[in-house]
This record gives sequence, C-alpha cells and structure tokens, in this order.
Amino acid sequence: MQTTSLLARKREREVRKVSAVFLIPALLIIAVFIIYPIVDSFRTSLFDWNGITAGKKFIAMNNWKELISDDTFWKAFRNNIIVMVLSIVIQMPIGMAIATFLDRVGKKGTIFKVLWFLPMLMSSVAIGYLFKYALDTNTGLVSTISRMLGGKNIDLLGNPKTALLTITVVICWQFIPFYMVYFMAAYSSLPADVYEAAIIDGATRGQYFWRVALPMMKPSIKSAIILSMVGSLKYFDLIYVMTGGGPGDASELMATYMYSNAFESYRMGYASAIASGMFIVITVISLVTMKLINGKEEV
Amino acid sequence: MKRKLLKALAVVLAGTMALSVPVYAKDEKTKLTLWHIQTGTMASCLENSAQRFMEQNPEYEVEVIQMQNDSYKQKLSMAMSAGETPDIYIHWGGSSMIDYVEAGQCADLTEFMEKDNYKDQFVDAGIEQCTYNDKIYAVPVENISVAGIFYNKDVFEKYGLEEPKTLAELEALCDKLVEEGVAPFALANATKWTGSMYYQYFATRKGGLEPFKNAAAGTGSFEDEAFTYAGEKIQEWVDKGYFNEGYNGMDDDSGQARQLFYTGQAAMDLMGSWFPGTVIGENPDFIEKVGFFPFPELEGSDADQSLCVGTVGDNLYSISENCEDKEGAFKLIQSLLDEEAQKERKSFGKIVPLKNYEAEDELTQEILDTVNAATGIQLWYDQYLPSEVAEVHKSTSQEIFGNLKTPEEANKEMQKAMQDYLAK
Amino acid sequence: MREESKAKKIAGKIIVAALVLLWCVIAFLPFFFMVMGTFKEQFEMLMGGVFKMPQQLYLDNYIEVFQGNIWNYLKNSVVVLVISLTVLLFVSACAAYPLSRFKFRMNKPIYSLIVACMSVPIHVTLLPIFLMMVKIHLYDSIWALIGPYIAFNLPISVFILVTFMQGIPKELEEAAEIDGCGKYRIFWSIMFPLVKPGLATLAIYNSVNMWNEFSFALTLTQRAENRTLPLAIWEYQGQYAMNVPMIMTVLVVSVLPMIIAFIFGQDKLIKGMMAGAVKG
Repeated sequence: MQTTSLLARKREREVRKVSAVFLIPALLIIAVFIIYPIVDSFRTSLFDWNGITAGKKFIAMNNWKELISDDTFWKAFRNNIIVMVLSIVIQMPIGMAIATFLDRVGKKGTIFKVLWFLPMLMSSVAIGYLFKYALDTNTGLVSTISRMLGGKNIDLLGNPKTALLTITVVICWQFIPFYMVYFMAAYSSLPADVYEAAIIDGATRGQYFWRVALPMMKPSIKSAIILSMVGSLKYFDLIYVMTGGGPGDASELMATYMYSNAFESYRMGYASAIASGMFIVITVISLVTMKLINGKEEV
Repeated sequence: MKRKLLKALAVVLAGTMALSVPVYAKDEKTKLTLWHIQTGTMASCLENSAQRFMEQNPEYEVEVIQMQNDSYKQKLSMAMSAGETPDIYIHWGGSSMIDYVEAGQCADLTEFMEKDNYKDQFVDAGIEQCTYNDKIYAVPVENISVAGIFYNKDVFEKYGLEEPKTLAELEALCDKLVEEGVAPFALANATKWTGSMYYQYFATRKGGLEPFKNAAAGTGSFEDEAFTYAGEKIQEWVDKGYFNEGYNGMDDDSGQARQLFYTGQAAMDLMGSWFPGTVIGENPDFIEKVGFFPFPELEGSDADQSLCVGTVGDNLYSISENCEDKEGAFKLIQSLLDEEAQKERKSFGKIVPLKNYEAEDELTQEILDTVNAATGIQLWYDQYLPSEVAEVHKSTSQEIFGNLKTPEEANKEMQKAMQDYLAK
Repeated sequence: MREESKAKKIAGKIIVAALVLLWCVIAFLPFFFMVMGTFKEQFEMLMGGVFKMPQQLYLDNYIEVFQGNIWNYLKNSVVVLVISLTVLLFVSACAAYPLSRFKFRMNKPIYSLIVACMSVPIHVTLLPIFLMMVKIHLYDSIWALIGPYIAFNLPISVFILVTFMQGIPKELEEAAEIDGCGKYRIFWSIMFPLVKPGLATLAIYNSVNMWNEFSFALTLTQRAENRTLPLAIWEYQGQYAMNVPMIMTVLVVSVLPMIIAFIFGQDKLIKGMMAGAVKG
C-alpha cells in the first residue's frame, strides 16, 4: 500500500520535472515576445500618448471609458463577429469536402492539391490587388459578367452593404486551402485499417464518412473552429489592403481600427486600449467556446 | 529575471551575428541616413544627388533609404519613439511637423536657411509651410502640388467641349458628358483624400481660407455654411452622376481612376499637380493628350476665387534633433536641389518650389500660372489638421460621397472631433 | 434497380468532376492572371486591365526584378525561414507533449495561457518589440526577425499539435513504458514520428506565414540589405501611383520558391505520414 503511493508520488514528481523541461523553452519565448508586449500595451492604455514624444500623460481609465462608448469600436466588433461566423460556415465544410476528395483519390490528386493550395501561398498584397481589379465596378470581372447577362455594373466594395461580405468571401477563398491541408492531415492520422474494416462491414463511402471518419475527426474539427474563430477575430490584412475599413466604417475591423488609431491618428494610448480590449474579448470568446464544445467529454 | 534573460538572448544572438557579419574597420567618415519615399526614376535622382554630395564631401558617408509610402508614418513614429530618428527624413508639413517639433525630433534650420539668403530662392508659400513659431524646420524639396482639373483632350474635342471658367459652366459641361454616357470625373475614393479634394475646393470657393482656419483653431466651426455648401454640392454632383460608378470602392494608387481617364471612359480628374509626372511615368506618349484648368470659380461668391488647394514642397525634408552633424545634413539636403537635380526633377514633370523654375511645356506652364495667380494656398485639410481629426475628415468626406451621412451630420461629427481634440 | 443506382453513380461522378473543375478555376484563375500581369507593360495594364491577355511576351519586368536586390531579399528570407521554422517546430512539439499526455496541476492553466496568446493582435506588439530590439542592438538585422517569428506562430502550433497528440492511442506509450523507455525516449521515438502529419501541416502553414510576413519585417529592419522578400515591392509603390505589373512580378518571383517547395515537399510529407502510420 505504502510502496505504491510512494511510487505514485515519485512518478508524479518525474512527470512534473519532465513537463517543465519540455515546456520551458516555449514559455520563455512566449513570455518575452507575447506576454511582455501585451502587458506593456495594458500599461500604455492608461496614458494619453501620441507614440512619438518622450512624455506620456497618465489619464487612468479614460481611454477605456472612451472605448466602451465608442460606436466605431462596437461596429468593428460586430463586423468581426460577422467575419467569424461566415468564415466558420464557409471554410470548414468546403475545406472538409476538398480534403475528403483528395484523401480518396490519393496520389492521383497531387496536381489538384498543388492548384488548390495556391491561394494560401499568395501574399495578401497580391490577393488584394487582384480582387480589387476583379471587383472594379467599371472594368472588373463581376461587372462584365453582369453586363453580359444584361444587367448593370455591380459595385461591391464601394457599397457599405456589401463591402464586408465581399471581402469575407475573399478571405475564405484565401484560407480554405489551410483547412484543406489541415483536414488531410487529420485524415492521415486516422488508423489505416478503419476504412477497410468499415467497407468490409458493408458501409458505403458516404456512411463511412458520416458515421466513422467524421466522428473520429471531431477533435480536429473542434480545434479548427477555434483556430478560425481566433483568426477572424484578429483579422487585418485584406481589409487593410482592399478597403481600409471603408466606405465610412462599413468594413472596419477591430484590428484595422487599432492600426489607424496607432499609426494614422497618432493615438498610441487609445490604440493600446483597443488592442487590450481585443485581447480580452478574443480570449474570453475562445476559452468559453472551448469549454462549451469540449464540455461533455471532460466530465 | 527578465532582464537577465534578455541579456542572455542578446549575447547569444549577438554572437551569431558577429560570426556571420564581417567586422568593418572603423573609419572616420560621418554617417548620414536619409529616409525618403520616392520610387523609380525619382529615387535614382535622390541617389545621384547623394553620390554627388559624397564626391564633393568625402568626409561623409550617406545612406539613402527608400521607404514605402503606406507604412511610412508608422515606421517614422516608431523610429522616433526609440530615439532612432534618421538624420534626414521627409514629411508633409502641417500638423505632423508641429508634432515632430513639439516632440523634439525636428531641428531648427532657420540659421542654415538664412545663410547666404538661401531661403530666398524658394517660393514664399513653400517657406511658409516649413515655418512654425517663426522658425524654419524643413526644406521644401520635391514638388509644387496643387490640385486642379486634368482632362482628356480627345474626349473634350470629340464632344466639342471647352475649358470652363465658372462652376456653372463646368456643370453644364458635365451634364453634356453624362448625356453622352461618359463619366465627367474619374474618382477612386477608397483612397479618401481623393474625394476630400472636392470638399476642400467647394468650401474654399464658397468661404475662402477663413472658415477652415477658424474652425481648426476652435474660433470657428465646421458647421459653417461653407462646409455645408461643400457637402451639399458633392451630394448634388453624386446624384447627377458626375462621378464614375463604384468610386468609393476604388483605389487611386493602383490606378483604378486613371484607367478610366486613359481609356476615355471618364473625361476629367481632379488631382494634384503630380499628375503629369504620374502620367509620364506610366505612359510618356499620353501626356500630349492631357489638358489642365484650375478649379472653376463660383459666381456670386464673396471669397477670393484664385485660391488653390494643395501644398508647396511636397515632400518636406527635415533634420533630426539628434543628428550629430546638422550642417552636413543640411548640405546634403541642398544637394538634392542642386542644378543637376533640378534638371532631373524637371524632366520627370516635377515643379520644384524654387523661384527660378521655368516651365518648358505648356501643361506645366498652365499649372505654374495657376499657382502664381493664387493669392493664397489652402494646405490639404488632412495635413493641416491634427492626425486624429484628419482621419475623421477623410472618413466623413467619404461618407458624404457615399450618401451615408448628410452634410450636416458629417460636419457635426467633424466639429465634435475638433472640439474633443482642442479640449485635451 | 441496378440501372438506377448505376445512373446515380454516374451522375454523382459527373457532379464531383464538375465541382472539381469549378474549384480548379476558382483557386487557380487569380494566380494565372497575376502571372499574366507580369508580362505586361505598365500602361498596357492600365488600358486593358488585369484580365486581358498580354500582347506579347514582355520580359523586361523580370529582367528588372532580377537585376535588383531580389537575390539578397531571397537569401534573407530563406535564412530567417529555415532557422525560425526548425526551432518553432521543435519547441512546439516539445511543449505539446506534456500538455497532451500528462496530468499535472499546471496543465490546464498553461494550455489556456497558450490559447490566450493566440488572441494577441500583432500590431500592438510591434512597438514594444521594436524598442527591445533597439536596446539589444539587433534592430536592422535579419536576426531580429527570428524571435518574433517563432513566438507568434508558437501558440497556434502548440494548439494544433496538442490536438494531434491527443489522438494517438495511449496503449503505445504504455507499452513502451513497460519496455523501460523513459519519457524523453518516448517523445523522440514514438510521439515525434506519430505526429508527423500534424508537423507537416504546421510546416506548410508556418512557412507560408513567415515567408509573407510583413509587419515585423517592416518594423525591425531598415536598410535594403537586411530586408526580406515581402518588402521588395516597396520600390514600386509610390506616393501617388504604383507600378502594378512590376509589383506582380516581384510577387510571382517571391511565391515561386514556395510553390516549388510545396510540390516537392508535399510528396515527401506524405511519405513521412505513411512512415508514421506504418510504425503505428
């Protein structure tokens, strides 16, 4: 009795030691490059500072008060939520469908894999230009097609009702390849004999997918959802390149709003408050979601 | 703990660096760093000037660093906050120059500028823009950039149009073009400052320089009738279809407006006088087809109708307060405007802000005449106003164009932003 | 009955083929037009737009790009990528191991901390990291980029690897332990090989991120000799106009190494995955 508990304790100590060794490098890097800056940003959010002068003026919670009542920030937050929901709804199923197809055709699908991965490889700058031209109201592809069908020119980016949605579609286009690769990896992590066993048992391919593969990939799907959530809540690139948040604040996101405050309006203090606010909001949303979707298993 | 860690990291990384980077022998040369945002042939013009400067002054080693326009402000403000301000840097004057001066980042150049009456070579309005509290803090180097209307001569000829003198004539001309199915103005307003030019001109034609000056100082208001007029006029023009479709989603830098202008789908472009330079860069042959006239007069207005909107000097070159050899740095700036550089700039369609500048072609002459006839120049709002208010201006002007806000709402928002700023 | 199911099968195949074709068009066309754009003169691009075929095989853009600083940028990008990626994959695999396999008190808090770190918006960290780099004299060198590149891809990498490692059956580990393997041995000879599909995904994802990374490269370097590829387009982005065909040329040249790496890499990666699966 006593020996076992001694042994258990010894084991526990060993586990702790090993864990520390494995975790310390990652934690150190994170501490220096992520935790320190975010703490610093919380500190800066208490000052009125333009980012240039040596002196900062301490104004306590004023930036935060302004943030709470800043319509543009909440508009940006709402936009982020729209991007998030659409990203999950569009990217996951298409990514999964493509991965399923590629998993089935195996090596023969290499050419498709390369072609389909291209959007991910292109930089946001390139994507921004191409789509700006493709969506140009007068000379772009969309308008040309519409005119061919007897319609009028279509203004997608200059119309506050469609600007955000349009860019979200482009964002999805850019990121679907990531989920394609991600779900392919998930497929190849499934034990090899599962598929054969299911087919021998008389399952059709459809049944295999819905009843066997999908449930087995549940953890990967859950992680993918979290990734997509966090990614879209702090999204910046294409909005900045394509509309700069406009027209007005129609496509403003939290990150672009922070950027323009920091480096265009020279309001570093307020920008830090936005960033810190973003950090809190995103962390809470992602941790709560994780709790919710993992809830059952953790009992 | 943290500091120790950083040190350890620094030592390790510095070690790697020392291994990979050859160690240069320390030489006696004074190093000068210059940041600019010119591209293409203009960038080589700066390189050439620096090269000449180094030949004449071998005690200096100049590093000319090309930065990117979009992220320039970010890069500069960060460098300043770390005390890494380059010896010579460009900016656009107005409120940001005041910020830099107040932050102790911008050296007083009055003494150098007055030596041998150097400053007298410059156009007065240019020097005025570099002056703050009676001291000169910058040198206007690149260009006289005032906004005016450029038009496609072929289109004008085709429809028998003539350069309008008054706004009423311009509107009649626009109506004609709309009837013919040509967009009167090419506008790409995702860029925001492009549309803002219309707002500025309307307000200036209606009320002159005073309303804006007072509003920015807090003694007037952005709800003044000049601004209401500007907003209403824009929306009137929008409703009449004077602009190409989809303007609020188009980007001027990547040429979406010029595309319409070049192809004749739009007849005119209200743009700064760097426009010919841009055309020459993109297609030297097309410049023959470009005509220019000043923004037309508003009949019945009390305000001075010769006023121009724009800037004289764009970009301005300043010296960092931390620069160890300001005299040398100033000499370097002077070399950017030596005879050879002047010649080079001229060949690229630039109008250097020097009094001795003589235009060689008709188009440049017309622009120059407009500037010379102007009794004053309204500096771009977005450069004059403090950055945070300028952002509000650009955004509200875009919203006026998009019919997203009424002129009253937009101007009210501007007024509030200005008051908030002044109250700090 | 059989006829019907046969017809259904054929119809299904046609639909799949159509979708596959459609997706090829959607995914590939923008890239195609980008490449076509590089064969145009600037004015040709402005007159005809992106979607017109080039009038001739105009190669001056490429000649100009290759005569410029591009080789230097390329070298810098490769150095930064290779070092950062290697360290990143190793460190994140290490961190994911205890988080996914061991029970200890700090497990949940540390995991949550790492998830929280995913939510840090990058732009706010630029200034503090910049000041730090100036202080330790790494500013304006490519070495300044390595730390941030590792750090900002670390949380997401750990997060993904934890998911993959949790999927590995516990029995394997237990068997090894009975055979007398220590934790370190188990990590090296069991977990590391088995998690290869995850590592491969991460290698791809992170290389793309690092290769295209703009903000830190902008902030932490100054001179042209220390810049990486994403900054190469500066030379063609002016204050009032930009040379779009040249920019596209730079972008095509920048993306080529990645495409080549992906074509060759994905084959190797699949073999790696197979190896992992066989061992399992």
